[in-house]
Amino acid sequence: MSEPASGVIHDIGYRHYDGPRLGSWYATRALFVYSLRAAFGFGRTARAKIMPFGLATVMLLPAVVSIAMMALLKERGMPYPGFFVYMQAILSIFVASQSPALVAPDLRHRVLPLYLSRPVGVPQYAGAKLAAMTLAVFLVIGVPLTLVYAGELLIDLEGPPQTGEYLAALTTGLCLALLLSAFGLTIASLTPRRGLGVASVIAVYLLLLAVSGVLVGTFESIGSGTAAAWSYLINPFFLLDAVRVALFGGESASGQYPDGPGPVLLTAALVALGVAALFLRYRKAAAK
Amino acid sequence: MHILETEELTKHFPGVTALDRLTVAAGSGVTGLVGANGAGKSTLIKILLGLQPPTSGRARVLDLDPATDGARIRTLVGYMPEHDCLPPEVSATELVVHLARMSGLPKVAARERAADVLRHVGLLEERYRPIGGYSTGMKQRVKLAQALVHDPRLVFLDEPTNGLDPRGREEMLTLIRRIGTEFGISVLVTSHLLGELERICDHVVVIDAGRLLRSSAITEFTQATQSLTVEVEEGADALVARLTELGQSVSVQGRLLTVKMLGPETYDAVRDAVAGLELCLIRLEQGRHRIEDVFREPLGEEVAGV
Repeated sequence: MSEPASGVIHDIGYRHYDGPRLGSWYATRALFVYSLRAAFGFGRTARAKIMPFGLATVMLLPAVVSIAMMALLKERGMPYPGFFVYMQAILSIFVASQSPALVAPDLRHRVLPLYLSRPVGVPQYAGAKLAAMTLAVFLVIGVPLTLVYAGELLIDLEGPPQTGEYLAALTTGLCLALLLSAFGLTIASLTPRRGLGVASVIAVYLLLLAVSGVLVGTFESIGSGTAAAWSYLINPFFLLDAVRVALFGGESASGQYPDGPGPVLLTAALVALGVAALFLRYRKAAAK
Repeated sequence: MHILETEELTKHFPGVTALDRLTVAAGSGVTGLVGANGAGKSTLIKILLGLQPPTSGRARVLDLDPATDGARIRTLVGYMPEHDCLPPEVSATELVVHLARMSGLPKVAARERAADVLRHVGLLEERYRPIGGYSTGMKQRVKLAQALVHDPRLVFLDEPTNGLDPRGREEMLTLIRRIGTEFGISVLVTSHLLGELERICDHVVVIDAGRLLRSSAITEFTQATQSLTVEVEEGADALVARLTELGQSVSVQGRLLTVKMLGPETYDAVRDAVAGLELCLIRLEQGRHRIEDVFREPLGEEVAGV
């Protein structure tokens, strides 16, 4: 009859939840949106927004200049196809700084078990992170391209709008985003410390850039054209530019790429490798 | 109905046998799983959640098989890990809302449930601050809240009193008892201290090196192991003599006297003896049994029987 009161806050009884439980697919989508927001620093401190927004703004500058040129000088500025090749340094920094933001905290603070003890499994977790990072990189590439295309339609230049080039650049941009995200996230997830993750991703990019440049120079100087053409593909940005040339035709943004389906097959193999590496990395982290 | 049961459950890791043909069952209410560090408690929980496959044997949780129905089990069960698992830069509210959605709750329901459950575990204004600034006790409460936020039918609490001071420990144990009774959620709680579980559990399972040592209702346990710890400023020897005179069995451990509980009259005997000798009583508490007592107990009876 006289139950001891254990404090005012505890007197409100426990209520059960009998609403819907939406399951794994819903949870994965929610994690995807959460991670996409995190890639741009939403839901984090103001400091976390500086890098992604700064870099996204820099990515927009060529588009703004291009639109201004079209409006004032009536001539085309930035070409669609070469856009991500010219902006490769900025894109690399974006991938390097934001990949750890998506994966490092959960590994470093061992939050992963809280996900895995829910309907979210390893494939769902890794898949949501990969999809979020891919879309983030794709937005950074695609929004400036789309702005220029919109500008082109509105300003009405001589000749037909370059719809084909625009769509080709968007498609290869999406493939590039997937490739960069898979490797960026894998590398970042191997180094739970955030700063180290940023440095590792940047280091890998600089290494590929340097190796590609040195090999191209060497092979060209000794007159080995085929070897030089393949050496371009060590740099992921040139690789995807080569994919665009192979699939949609058009000008190369740098030198001569290898003919045939080589670049396309190589890209497909690398994407498969990167995604597999990411999933295996998380399978191992889950077993701990 | 059994909330969980295992049959000949075995788990080998390279070089280690974590579980060795373990057969246990637990009903609704609060079940304690007691064992020294490395006895296989955390491994058992991971197998029951379907996160690790057993080497051999069977397990059932809420009448589901973790090996095939792991995903379904994980929507109905909550899990509080032993280790730190909280990101420091988000607030308790943000984290618990997010994890509620990871359990499949719609956005609005996730917010309501998170607010409810954080209140139940006793986190008030501080729940809006980043977790990085929390005390150990508050962090344990957040870990408990995330395990309860989706209103599971069963929760696995792995060493929930770890790192808490005596008061925090008491509050956590009281909370766990309320989860099992008032909230109507079955609890499997692990600890390496039998003494702290005997107050809140209906049933206790003791394992050692992956093997079952004992599984019984709490009433059988407490009768076998209950004792009183008494500390007085001086005059301990006289107190031992007086208590023995009054028919109590007393053993001396340094400054502390351990008096075997024979019933409520043991309290009276200690009170009368201390008052009669006019001693300064510093401490009078229920004995804290460590897991070793369970090993010692049958041995003592054997000796007595000889």
